[in-house]
Amino acid sequence: MNPPASLQNLIEALRILPGVGPKAAARMAYHLLQRDRPGADKLALSLNRALAGLRHCRLCNSFAESEICELCANPRRDPALLAVVEMPTDLAMMEAAQTYAGRYFVLMGRLSPLDGVGPRDIALDRLIERALDGVVREVVLATNFTPEGEATAHTIAALLKARDIAVSRLARGVPLGGELEYVDSGTLAQAYRDRRSL
Amino acid sequence: MTAPHPVNHQPGFVLHSHAYKETSLVAELFTRDYGRVAAVARGARRPLSGLRGLIQPFHPLLLSWYGRGELRTLHAAEWQGGLAPLSGRALIAGFYLNELVLKLLARDDPHEGLYALYDQTLQSLAAGPGALEPLLRRFELGLLKEIGYAATLDRLAVSGEPVSAAACYRYQPGHGVVPEDAGAGIAVSGRTLLDLAAGEFAAPATLGEGKHLMRALIHHHLGGKALYTRLLLQELAEL
Repeated sequence: MNPPASLQNLIEALRILPGVGPKAAARMAYHLLQRDRPGADKLALSLNRALAGLRHCRLCNSFAESEICELCANPRRDPALLAVVEMPTDLAMMEAAQTYAGRYFVLMGRLSPLDGVGPRDIALDRLIERALDGVVREVVLATNFTPEGEATAHTIAALLKARDIAVSRLARGVPLGGELEYVDSGTLAQAYRDRRSL
Repeated sequence: MTAPHPVNHQPGFVLHSHAYKETSLVAELFTRDYGRVAAVARGARRPLSGLRGLIQPFHPLLLSWYGRGELRTLHAAEWQGGLAPLSGRALIAGFYLNELVLKLLARDDPHEGLYALYDQTLQSLAAGPGALEPLLRRFELGLLKEIGYAATLDRLAVSGEPVSAAACYRYQPGHGVVPEDAGAGIAVSGRTLLDLAAGEFAAPATLGEGKHLMRALIHHHLGGKALYTRLLLQELAEL
């Protein structure tokens, strides 16, 4: 016997989540309906609210509830500095480091040539527009240190340098408190290449 | 119990990887003696995993895995070093090499000669500024030859007659060199065919015509699949 249509729809709907197959989706649906109906209610409500209320900040492209997010609207942040990160989680990590006082641009992805993610799939054109507002003096590239993140950083650097904006990249090397004994060889090799004179 | 079909310390490169389940990775590998192999690296995305940071393209590794079937289990990767990280245009070129290998080589088919060429091409890309085009043409040609798509360039397909430098010809994908008046096929000069056959990429005309010929052959053998790295370069040029 087939499950009732609305249950079937719920299972189908849950399958859109990454990594959720038919079995996991069915388990989630039964759990929500049988064990945690208030939780299911809350999930439905938050999903609706997020869909209705969230949009991309006009300045930084991250999620915001108003046209301009709180961070971009904060007058104490230095408008001459613009850090480019891949995802909002990266922005949160930069903020947790409590060092950077400029503003951000969130690409919402990275160039990934082998997955077919090109410049049109991330907000490169909006970044260029944002960086050329006349106030930004330096763009800090804080994309990940993966080949994809590097390719993204290289592309942005080439586009901005052609437009006379100073571009910098986060340094990489041995982590703070890192004992050489426990650092992986790739990181150590890079730390040697990027060594600086004292 | 011993692991089935263990392979230890196999020289290889990561071509591409994607996240798998909560903390694992599936890596597409290109290895010296086993060709293209797909393997899951369990827990490789955990912060303290020994594999984290190693499962990256463009670095020579010694790989150890076990298992049979489509997906092996990668349990160790050792850093070989000696290769500077690719950057800028060389990095995009590296992605292009990887995409060609991923899309044109079948899995579990050893290609020692091509592996050596891949290794050598990456070394040249990492060594720093130099002309990219001759490196890419050499690799494309090596790949096409290795999989049997550009076996004979210096002789005509039917007659076996040697190609003459002064004459013009056409190359028919899947067939070979034919006289210019044969109609179909990619127009190419005898000089270029002889240069390509000899692995000479110095002449600008050879590079230009060679690029055209390689592109057409690769397009033909991809059977309509798009090359994303090429699209990326086109889209970037438009920005």
